[in-house]
Amino acid sequence: MVMSFFKKSESGLDTIAHRTISMLADARHSFDLASAAVLSGANPESVAQDIRTTDEHINQAEQTLRGELVTHVAVHGTTEIGSVLSYTLLIKKIERIGDQAKNILDLAEEGVSLVDEEDISELNEIRRIISSMFAEAADLMAETTTEQAREFYDRATELRHSIENKIRDYMHSEEPGYHAVPRAVLYRYWKRIVSNLAGVVTGVAEPLQKQGYIDDGETDLDD
Amino acid sequence: MALITDRAKWDTPTILRASFVFGLIYTFLVGVSSLESGIKVMGADTQESLFASVSNPIAGLFIGILGTVLVQSSSASTSIIVGLVGTGALGVGDAVPMVMGANIGTTVTNTLVALAHMRQSEEFKRAFAAATVHDFFNLMSVCILLPVEISTGVLSTLAEKISGKLVGSAGSEWKSPIKKWVKEPVSWLKDLGDAIGAKGNILGTFLVIVGLVIILLSLAYITKNMRQLVADRIEASLNKVLGTGAGMVAMVLGLLITISVQSSSITTSIMIPLAAAGVVTLRNIYPVTLGANVGTTITALLAALAASRPEALTVGIVHTLFNVGGIALLYPIPGVRDIPIRAAENLARIAVERRYIAIAYVVIAFIVIPLLGVAVLR
Repeated sequence: MVMSFFKKSESGLDTIAHRTISMLADARHSFDLASAAVLSGANPESVAQDIRTTDEHINQAEQTLRGELVTHVAVHGTTEIGSVLSYTLLIKKIERIGDQAKNILDLAEEGVSLVDEEDISELNEIRRIISSMFAEAADLMAETTTEQAREFYDRATELRHSIENKIRDYMHSEEPGYHAVPRAVLYRYWKRIVSNLAGVVTGVAEPLQKQGYIDDGETDLDD
Repeated sequence: MALITDRAKWDTPTILRASFVFGLIYTFLVGVSSLESGIKVMGADTQESLFASVSNPIAGLFIGILGTVLVQSSSASTSIIVGLVGTGALGVGDAVPMVMGANIGTTVTNTLVALAHMRQSEEFKRAFAAATVHDFFNLMSVCILLPVEISTGVLSTLAEKISGKLVGSAGSEWKSPIKKWVKEPVSWLKDLGDAIGAKGNILGTFLVIVGLVIILLSLAYITKNMRQLVADRIEASLNKVLGTGAGMVAMVLGLLITISVQSSSITTSIMIPLAAAGVVTLRNIYPVTLGANVGTTITALLAALAASRPEALTVGIVHTLFNVGGIALLYPIPGVRDIPIRAAENLARIAVERRYIAIAYVVIAFIVIPLLGVAVLR
């Protein structure tokens, strides 16, 4: 173990970056499984263990990365303090996505299944878009420019607004509660996931002071 | 900014920095040699009066503490002691307590780092305990090994045997190849002294001061550059080793980090923010600190290469034996091993309740007591 001292290591922040991206992949895995439990008729019991284990894995990764960030500052000093603080925000957002996937699983465990509903294609389409945004976010975390991040953020904002409109519609809907409430709750979790993904990408591109906020502070990405 | 690609920034190429470090090590050895030449240039009377105060071992111990607190580096202070022993003016018997004092004095640095966490109670408690565990361990080692050494001379005898095998017996002149390499620059310094009209004691003082400045500056820059060179390795190893436990592996890591950066203060000070943040426990830090104690002895051994008497190497070896011996005596038995941990935790608990005690501890233990000790015992 101590022989690792003699091996050439990549920069500590590069290691942390790779592990942050891997955390995002875990979060996507949880999101896909939990959404499938609600939308594809998958048995919630069959995915619950996987989602909870993945969430524990994400939480553990967050704690480990926090420790590694402290080690980075202790060893390298404060030269990269901006990046270190950005990472603490980023990994928190990814950890939240893991929790939100668990919340979606809770819906399925409460018996919500929308597989045979008339709006299933629309729901599946939104799920597909969000799932692909995880992959994009991971790519952008590894290599991005402010323009690419902005473009991603614009699409995320558009999706977020469209989800918000749906939530508003369900809030004022005259449909029975068993129809409107599960959809409103599901959309609410999706909205939060999209916000956190946008936060992850803008967190990579924006100055630390502005992270979590956009439009000069008008929009709070933490939702 | 991308997480991975954008952080690539221009830095001094490794090969350039490594060459610079080699140059600095050479300069460091020139400094040790200059110090030795300076003392030799002084007359016998001056030499005797300079070192008369350290004939009392306890006074020598306090001088070691004070000197190290002053230069904030046991590597520097022990190298200077080794250089002085190399002149023949300072005996091995007088130098050993000073080296032990240097071991105590060096612990002040991480304790000062811990004081920076004073505003946050829990952070401070963890940081202060992590810092003072080093103090208590080194103090215990000295309390046991100094009386043993004074009464039996076991460390110096063993060290003398080892150095005898390596470079020749005490009293002889050691033809160190390193000494030959550094001879020329030292003669330039002598010529410079002559050119400005310095003679006898003045020339000696000039060479001693230049030697001290060279030793301190070169060591500081060696540490700075080596830290840059191995920072990523240190970070990766700390994450691997400290995340999975402690014990001997952590001790070896402490040793390797300290040998790399030529400073135990750097190794032990890195641990303080980690302890403060609760990333590593006191029990995990403890063996790293002990490894650092042994690792820091490499500098004095290096300095001995530029000295012309085997006794210089003997003192360097005593420094290593003292630190290895301390670990061998105090670490294997769990009940004894835990004494410094418990003492550090108790002191940290008291210091958190009354913050002034932490400051008073530093001032009294590292400045007032050694100063009084030197004043009374010299």
